[in-house]
Amino acid sequence: MGEPSEPQTGRDFERRLARARDRERAPEERSAHASPQSGMGLAYRIATELVAAVGVGGLIGYGIDRWLETRPWCMIVFTLLGFAAGMLNIFRITRGYGYAAGYRAQDETKSGDNAP
Amino acid sequence: MAEAHNPLAQFEIKTLIPIHIGGVDASFTNSAAFMVASVVCVSALMILSVRSRALVPGRWQLLAELAYSFIAKMLTDTVGKEGRPYFPLVFSIFMFVLFGNMLGMLPYTFTYTSHLAVTFAMAAFVFVLVTVVAIAKHGMKFFSFFLPHGVPIAMAPLLIPIEIISYLSRPVSLSVRLFANMMAGHTLLKVLGGFVLPLGIFGVVPVLGLVAVSGLELLIAFLQAYIFTILTCIYINDAVHLH
Repeated sequence: MGEPSEPQTGRDFERRLARARDRERAPEERSAHASPQSGMGLAYRIATELVAAVGVGGLIGYGIDRWLETRPWCMIVFTLLGFAAGMLNIFRITRGYGYAAGYRAQDETKSGDNAP
Repeated sequence: MAEAHNPLAQFEIKTLIPIHIGGVDASFTNSAAFMVASVVCVSALMILSVRSRALVPGRWQLLAELAYSFIAKMLTDTVGKEGRPYFPLVFSIFMFVLFGNMLGMLPYTFTYTSHLAVTFAMAAFVFVLVTVVAIAKHGMKFFSFFLPHGVPIAMAPLLIPIEIISYLSRPVSLSVRLFANMMAGHTLLKVLGGFVLPLGIFGVVPVLGLVAVSGLELLIAFLQAYIFTILTCIYINDAVHLH
């Protein structure tokens, strides 16, 4: 329907169908950059990211301290690790890497420019 | 008078119908009442509006179809074809959060998304589901997730805890973001509202502020529902296509 000028032959239909399906599939190229939406949405995501990671790190440290009675060392170490995790999350969001731990953007795996 | 001006009074949970099952307080509260109200509203919108099944949609049917295609597009853009089975979940989450936020913008209503217990329950559900899906689809390969590809093995003792914290912070940031935004916005509205009467004729100034902030709040109500949903999509994407 998009290209009314094309002749409506059978083979042509197959080709257009394949193209439409490709359009629908092929999320891989887009998915890495689909996450950052508006600037405001991005800002809201980033703002909580650091706080959440530091909080989770501190809580894990507190839990280990209560379990092993090593107060306050694990809490200190894990809070610092939480800072690192928060910065890592923010870095991934702003680079459009998506979110996940261990997540690599598709183009990076293809070109391998970041590989050591 | 004093408690009427307390900006936090609006978040108070009030028991409507006390129910106790085996020592657990499962009372029907005002929060639960508004959850039921939003589910009823969503169901009514989706069921009644498409009842005519017109080829050329009317206004209500168009609204329902726009909501459907908005979420469907978001899901296929982020996850692709494999995301289709998760559409009902993602759509339900979006509508539930959106209606919770929007109903909360009406005067005298209760905003259930302004409670961490509610948002964290939703985020934890998404988190557990995504983790289970990832393990079911990829098995033990899921745990390779926590060591980024190409990292020297000497860095592993440092990086694995960081990645695990980063992964565990997902439901926390997801829930805190929604809850903090809704709570902050509603508190701000109430504080500004408290200035109107004591200022007499100059009360016009905070009223103008209220109008502006209400507009902003409507935007945030939508935006936060959108963010919650798109992050759910991104998590599902990570679980389905483990890199």
